[in-house]
Amino acid sequence: MKVTLAMKPAAKGFIPIEAESIVPKNFLAGTDLLVWRGNRELRLDEVFSVSVEGEADRAEGVEVVLSGETFRLKRVGEYMDGGKITVLGGIGMHCGNFMSGGTIEIHGNADGWLGREMAGGTIICRGDAADYCASGYRGGRKGMKGGTVEVFGHTGDFLAESLAGGTVVVHGDAGDMPGAEMRGGTLVVDGDCSRPAANMKGGSCYVYGTARGMLPTFKKIGTVQHEGRTLIQFAGDLANRGKGNLFVKGYEYLD
Amino acid sequence: MTELLVKNACVIDPLRGINAEVMDIAIRDGKIVEEVSDAAEVIDARGMLTMPGGVDSHTHICGTKVNFGRYMSPEDMRAGRTPRRGPLHATSGYSVPTTYGNSYRYSVMGYTTLLEGAMAPLEARHTHEEFTYTPLQDTMANTLFDGNWGIMEAIHDGDIKRVAAIIAWTLSAVKGFGIKLTNPGGTEAWQWGKNVSCIRDPVPYFEVTPAEIIRSVVEANELLHLPHSVHLHCNNLGTPGNYSCTLGTFGLIPDLNEKRQTLYATHVQFHAYGGSGWKDFCSKSEPIARYVDMRPQIVMDMGQVMFGRTTTMTADGPMEFNLYRLHHEKWSNHDVELETGSGIIPVIYRRKNLVNSIMWAIGLELALLTKSPWQCLLTTDNPNGAPFVKYPEIIGLLMSKKYRDAEFATIHPDTEARVPLPAIERELDWYEIAVMTRAGQARALGIQDLGKGHLAPGADADVAIYPLKIDEVDPSAEYQKVIDGFSRTEYTIKRGRVVARRGDCLVHGTNATFWVKPKVPENYDMGKDPDFIEKFDRYYTVRMSNYPVQEEYLARNRCIETEADL
Repeated sequence: MKVTLAMKPAAKGFIPIEAESIVPKNFLAGTDLLVWRGNRELRLDEVFSVSVEGEADRAEGVEVVLSGETFRLKRVGEYMDGGKITVLGGIGMHCGNFMSGGTIEIHGNADGWLGREMAGGTIICRGDAADYCASGYRGGRKGMKGGTVEVFGHTGDFLAESLAGGTVVVHGDAGDMPGAEMRGGTLVVDGDCSRPAANMKGGSCYVYGTARGMLPTFKKIGTVQHEGRTLIQFAGDLANRGKGNLFVKGYEYLD
Repeated sequence: MTELLVKNACVIDPLRGINAEVMDIAIRDGKIVEEVSDAAEVIDARGMLTMPGGVDSHTHICGTKVNFGRYMSPEDMRAGRTPRRGPLHATSGYSVPTTYGNSYRYSVMGYTTLLEGAMAPLEARHTHEEFTYTPLQDTMANTLFDGNWGIMEAIHDGDIKRVAAIIAWTLSAVKGFGIKLTNPGGTEAWQWGKNVSCIRDPVPYFEVTPAEIIRSVVEANELLHLPHSVHLHCNNLGTPGNYSCTLGTFGLIPDLNEKRQTLYATHVQFHAYGGSGWKDFCSKSEPIARYVDMRPQIVMDMGQVMFGRTTTMTADGPMEFNLYRLHHEKWSNHDVELETGSGIIPVIYRRKNLVNSIMWAIGLELALLTKSPWQCLLTTDNPNGAPFVKYPEIIGLLMSKKYRDAEFATIHPDTEARVPLPAIERELDWYEIAVMTRAGQARALGIQDLGKGHLAPGADADVAIYPLKIDEVDPSAEYQKVIDGFSRTEYTIKRGRVVARRGDCLVHGTNATFWVKPKVPENYDMGKDPDFIEKFDRYYTVRMSNYPVQEEYLARNRCIETEADL
């Protein structure tokens, strides 16, 4: 089953739409869903032109395609457990919160909190992702616990904060504090970043570019070969009795 | 004039010695009266268990410390969310809920009076403001004097009357109710990066010992004729082997008051540990309970630990630092100028953890081994041992050996060798539970004469009617019914009004705050004492004239005036 949701042009295009109902399995029972715009609850067809092709009896057989000004949509794919969501443009905050299965593919950029606290499934973002990509939430002990997030562009600050499991790969640069408080899982940044893996307790963090503002609480172990690269291995964060591994191609301490 | 008649109530009212008598309760204008007119509104209690409104004599619900717990645990606010509804505000939070969350949940459990366990005098305004937004309970605040410079200097000079005078001035200024000592001396030592290990260690610079602080303040408390006794959180909380320190502290206390205890020792579970380290950590509830049995001048509360997530918060800064070093989670530390300090960390008590399992057992043992329920009151030191919403489960555990055994089977297997709990057969009855949750607490706080904790004519019409028929429920077997019954009153009546019904709060309510104002002779008025004023202006960051809490901060209040013997 393929569900196509094309956003209708809105008079007040600055009001975000909270669309946690856009999850593949919800379409098995039809398209009679509700979304919020500000304090108003609207039917799905008031916001989108909806068309459905084919049938499915399981969430895995459902693909939802979103187009139009989709960067206004928040919480798309929250608690998703199967199926596929394809976003042809950008997507708003909190896409794929708590997801446990299925795939979300974003062709544009993603706003903050992409894949927050996800437990499984795959998110692919072909553009950039903003702050708190694949992270935990305020105060929480564990962030992302499983699954995969792959971003082809750059990401903002606090990438994979409190990462506890799963894999996060960023092909561009990351901002400040990627992998802060991480305790498990794997984080790979192909480009540069600053202050990686602060206060890490466990897991592995790879920076294939340069780690700026390298934290002094990591202990240098030596060099290792990893997937054809020579990386410098650190253990830490010693400030937190951490048993994590940080691998960087190059690093510079603060002056 | 509003009148209410509660008919056919099965009343347990320990302060009047009433044990399960079916009777009517007449209420007029917020007070219990002998009888009401025929025009009175009638509630038929149909033989349900009816008791005075619950009193919590040690809980942390309002003030800077609690609020900082909220700040640092945004994840806690993800639980317990309820939307705004009718007269009710939205609530959120589990271990450190919003003030309305606290108030509504306590009310649904039948609690009508709460004592905030620790208010730093300098930050009293915050506590009083939050009291205003705790609408369904009357409140009072214990005021911290554990590291008060002026008091320690007076003790060093051996001047008990000056100690009393400083306490009198401070209590009146900050609208406090009683004296709280939290790790006396230890919080001041912590400001030097140190702690005191027990009651004989001198405090840096001031050269007084915790024993001297405790004894002097106890004497000063009686000179001021305060309603409540000194409320003590002993030194050395949470360390293996600390029970000997606790016993040593109890041994300092003379019997000075006929009406009530001379010392209220709070959350004694945290102070009843044996062993020399975490490896041989064990329960020492038996010696503590035996000691308290022999000393009517001491009342303690359980400080029961229940499994799950919670937040620990105390003025005991050094102890929280030690906890932080164990858990390595987030930690807050706070210093309150010339007075005290505090620390906060979130914790999870786990069944699989041997130490946590032993702690859980010790709290129950204290309640079961202490002969008189008047001397061991039911608390969790909310939220330190567990959030107060766990009280019904604790009542279930105290009333049912079967429930205890079932729970015991789920905890760490090595616990059995370290604690006496499995051998204790005692099951508390309804009357004893009533003592531990209202009557005993009211007497210990010295508020029974103010109409709290009993249902005699003239008392405040605070009544809790639980959907339990005590002749039909066998608590030792049907413990789930007991837990459900105590979790949700049929009616909670506060000041003559039904404020909660079957789990729903019905009205907004208004809080009243109790505070004390001891009258001292002119020459002991610290507001006019040149030395006190000079020290104040020199060391505090606020001016003395800005320090007292204005009456505007107390929406509705009852001032308790006492005559000091100075």
